[in-house]
Amino acid sequence: MLSVQNLTKVYPNGTQALKEVSFDVQDGEFLVVIGLSGSGKSTLLRCINRLIDPTSGKIFWDDLDITAASPSELRHIRRHIGMVFQQFNLVKRSSVMTNVLSGRLGYANPWLSLLGIWPAEEKQRAIHALERVGIADKAQSRADALSGGQQQRVGIARALMQEPKIILADEPVASLDPVLSHSILQYLEQLNKDGMTVICSLHFLDLVHRYATRVIALKDGIKVFEGLPKEIDRAKFKEIYGEDAQEVRATSLEAPA
Amino acid sequence: MKDLSHLKKLVRNSLLFALLLVVFVYSYRVTGIDVARLVRDAPKARNIVLDFLHPDLFRRDVEIVTLDMAFPIPCGSAPEAEPAASGPRLATSVPCAAARERFALEGFELAPNSTIEIRWRLPDGRLWTINRVQTDADGYFQVEVEARPIAATADGVPSLIQADALVPVGPYKPSQTFDDVMANMLVTIFMALMATTIATLVAAPLSFLAASNVTKRGCIGTVVYYGMRSVFNILRSYEPLVMAVVFAFWLGFGPFAGTLAMTVVTIASLGKLFSESIESIDPGPIEALQATGANRIQTVWYAVVPQIVPDFISFIVYHWDINVRISTIIGFVGGGGIGYYLKERIDMLAYRQAATAIWAIVIVVMALDFLSAEVRKRLT
Repeated sequence: MLSVQNLTKVYPNGTQALKEVSFDVQDGEFLVVIGLSGSGKSTLLRCINRLIDPTSGKIFWDDLDITAASPSELRHIRRHIGMVFQQFNLVKRSSVMTNVLSGRLGYANPWLSLLGIWPAEEKQRAIHALERVGIADKAQSRADALSGGQQQRVGIARALMQEPKIILADEPVASLDPVLSHSILQYLEQLNKDGMTVICSLHFLDLVHRYATRVIALKDGIKVFEGLPKEIDRAKFKEIYGEDAQEVRATSLEAPA
Repeated sequence: MKDLSHLKKLVRNSLLFALLLVVFVYSYRVTGIDVARLVRDAPKARNIVLDFLHPDLFRRDVEIVTLDMAFPIPCGSAPEAEPAASGPRLATSVPCAAARERFALEGFELAPNSTIEIRWRLPDGRLWTINRVQTDADGYFQVEVEARPIAATADGVPSLIQADALVPVGPYKPSQTFDDVMANMLVTIFMALMATTIATLVAAPLSFLAASNVTKRGCIGTVVYYGMRSVFNILRSYEPLVMAVVFAFWLGFGPFAGTLAMTVVTIASLGKLFSESIESIDPGPIEALQATGANRIQTVWYAVVPQIVPDFISFIVYHWDINVRISTIIGFVGGGGIGYYLKERIDMLAYRQAATAIWAIVIVVMALDFLSAEVRKRLT
């Protein structure tokens, strides 16, 4: 269980990104974080693996205090938390294989990894990860030769190399064509069914209804909602997104079963 | 009141104009601009230009050959010689002559700058020396000869004009100059290569210290960042030529001093370019690899290095290209290599050899320019 307690983040320029946010995530949940751009979703996800250090508050993973971890402890914690990004964050000039293998750096022998030497079992693991997202045939392509949807799948494969218990997905479909959103989210849904906890920020409400097992909503860094997806009615929607908001459907043409 | 200010302005402008005039007149005299001389001395330039168009590239082995041609004295006493059209040969301004007449003797396509002995071979077989002459750089000579009465035709047998000449034989081979130029060109290319290599080894790590996204963190980081940038900027403002003179005082004139001078300037230039390249990378992959639990060195190696390597290689090749040009100039002040060779030849007025060096420089610079452009094109 992941427990976030009174999490607050104030950036050096004075922006208050998170205010006293608290919530729990049970193992195996598909938790979706919603809110407007700038509401603190990205900051929240990055505080969980401490890509951003919170100003105050605690994050416990079972009995482990992530917020108090030393740099080497933190690296060990991060190995078990995969992350998927809005902009994919692949090294564009490197091959797909190298990008996927780099997800394993936390486990690899530091010296061999700097020489670019990977044991055969790790290469096999990388191929297997690529097979899980259906692009094993692209292993030797340069990352920037792939389409956006394929690049995000490489991003997921890279996270899989960590054999993570938690996957943080920061707007994983916001840079993709809406029609590709379901394709990517279905991979995350499958990983969730395989036992991984998924914490994902999303924009489109119909995607939230389709994939989330539970939802929290942020507005100006404050948690304004926590509950089941079906509890977000019209009134809640207006409360989270403001009076001017209009719901946009991500995929009105084809909704998967 | 208004008139007064108008007057003041007029006086001020006139003074300014007068001052500028003085400056320009003085500058004109100091520079010694002399248009008349430019025109008058044009013929001198013509010779130099011709020498430059005939670089010293080839040589051939030489062999002593005796050339001869019949020369009837007086005319009609014997058949005249058929003049040869090509190859090493002798020719006279008239096919025959009366005794005591003077005529010109020319020799063609002989060994350049060689001594030739010319003589009469009299009808009875005795030899009678005429003169010793020197061929010019094209293997040509001309000399005035008197038709001596002793060389008159006897019994229908004419005297021969004979010349023991060195003539070129065998295939063309690269000249000594060509070999020397090649050797010195290699020295220059290697100087540039060493300077660029050492500079890369020093500049690559230092450039990370001068990259704001890597170093400019916290108090110490900010100090290091601005310090490193200042060092690069100060070093960059020195001309390699000035630097070469400084190192030459220290280490004596030669390739080592020249190489070090280029190294220092290249460190500054590459350091600045490298750091700018590091500053422009995509931070996304760094974040992604930090999130996987990779350590700092692994993150730099997997997320930063692949993004900067193509830029770095392109800058390195470009600077090698630049350094070949600079090392030519540095050679002039004693830095060794092709520049020094060129200066020596110019001082010796050996313009054809200088021309060989200049052609070599032009060709190598153009080739490297093309090569570096090609490499940079492939890397993007």
